[in-house]
Amino acid sequence: MKKTLACITVLLLAGVPVAAHRLDEYLQATLISVGKDHIQAEVRLAPGVMVLPVVLGSMDTNADGILSDAEQRAYAERVLRDFSLTLDGERLPMRMVSLKFPKVEDMKQGVGELQLDLIADVPAGGGKRRLVFENRHQSSIAAYLVNCLVPNDPDIRITAQNRNYQQSSYELIYEQAVAPGASSLLSGAGGWLGAVALLLIARLAFVLRSRTVARDPFLDIVER
Amino acid sequence: MKAKRTVHYVGGLMAIGLSVGAAMAQNATSKIVGAANAFLSSLDQKQRQTVQFAFDDEAQRARWSNLPITITKRAGLNMGSLSAPQRSAAMALVESTLSRRGFEKVQQIVEADETLKNNERSNPMFGKDLYYISILGTPSEKSPWMLQFGGHHLALNITIAGEQGILTPTLTGAQPALYTSNGKTVRPLGQESDKAVALLNSLDESQKKQAILGFRLADLVLGPGQDGKTIQPEGLKASSMNDRQRALLLDVISEWTGIVHDSSAAGRMAEVKAGINETWFAWSGPAEVTQGTNISAYYRIQGPKLVIEYAPQRLGGDPSMHIHTMYRDPTNDYGRKPAAK
Repeated sequence: MKKTLACITVLLLAGVPVAAHRLDEYLQATLISVGKDHIQAEVRLAPGVMVLPVVLGSMDTNADGILSDAEQRAYAERVLRDFSLTLDGERLPMRMVSLKFPKVEDMKQGVGELQLDLIADVPAGGGKRRLVFENRHQSSIAAYLVNCLVPNDPDIRITAQNRNYQQSSYELIYEQAVAPGASSLLSGAGGWLGAVALLLIARLAFVLRSRTVARDPFLDIVER
Repeated sequence: MKAKRTVHYVGGLMAIGLSVGAAMAQNATSKIVGAANAFLSSLDQKQRQTVQFAFDDEAQRARWSNLPITITKRAGLNMGSLSAPQRSAAMALVESTLSRRGFEKVQQIVEADETLKNNERSNPMFGKDLYYISILGTPSEKSPWMLQFGGHHLALNITIAGEQGILTPTLTGAQPALYTSNGKTVRPLGQESDKAVALLNSLDESQKKQAILGFRLADLVLGPGQDGKTIQPEGLKASSMNDRQRALLLDVISEWTGIVHDSSAAGRMAEVKAGINETWFAWSGPAEVTQGTNISAYYRIQGPKLVIEYAPQRLGGDPSMHIHTMYRDPTNDYGRKPAAK
């Protein structure tokens, strides 16, 4: 508490607008949107002025006070490495679609916001699906927010959202209507062959998922 | 025959009621347009150019924030730059668009910022001179146009479209959220806090279990810069509430729908009521509050045409003393629906 007050005093004397906004946390807000063939994540990262030295230290690696394109890219990639996304127990690699970096001056005022747009391809599938998003970036100073946008696709229906207290771990359960092509496999002369193939795939997925679930950190959190 | 006559009688009364409502709304719109023209005529040509924008100026529409104007720049005319008569005309225009309680709330939010300025050794970032007014489009009783008024902790975006006054998106906030003025305790957003507590306390244990989210919500989810987004609702659905609880929920909502002038507020409330069974209430944070103070919990109310968020801000101090709230209509922010007609 003494340390916080001392920081506030120093910032006040330096003319930093302490009363106006978040100070000692690193707000990390993620909005997820789910589609049949891709998942998008819109991430906003806004460091408070009191934690900026910590955040800036990992952005401005040569400490010259300027964030070069290479430093911006490297920081965004570090953030990306601190995220994990799985669908039905399978890890989905996310790639960066766009990156918008704030000015250092704006961050010093407490208003700089880094914006990251990410996308991941979704393997074909349907029925009940389970997405897990985790954010471990700067966890000691982070204030996480994670939400899901209402899907644009009428074939996708969200049925549950679960989070741990900090919102560093987020689980989304949704129903995805099975594509008409999949059901046609079960009709016609070769229908029995398609049915056997689907059963084998389902069995394989079940075995793999059982192995993954045992290591799933989200379950550790919700069971606590 | 008698029944037929009764139907005609009731039908006639309804028609009279509707036309009285429409006349009242038209009357309100006429007053607003008159106040807008009076304000514009009080300005010189340069000021008029500064205060007016095209109705479809998307950049100006989105130029609002919870932050002080020294951090997030606004455009238009700021109150400190106006002469006393011009400032009176500006405030008369704002007042004409709002209900009595709505205008009082706005004045208390501005007064809180003046208090903050005084508490911080005349900090030039705050104070009642630092609120901006702007007009998008041409004031008209028929064609849509917009009035914006805001600064630190306040962003009123009011679209006037014929009879309708559309208040979304609007941000209200307060810091300090409890202060003394002329010996009286003032809580600009006190009703938003008290009414939400009354609703929460009316829920049974099973309903509370659904309404209270088990995670921390540190900030607004759909605050400034988040236009056009609809998140998946969470919490307790009003269809699982009893009539009394739904009435309490509507009472909380009225703190935002009732900011705009009375005839538009009535229409808006009817719209919200129509979707009440599809409206959700979610709460995160302490359920306890000392009487006469504000909650330090976050809550959200979300329906088909409504998003309300109440988000106390932690600044290393008491979160109940620094509040941000957001009010949106995902189907009609900035009055896009009537404007598109």
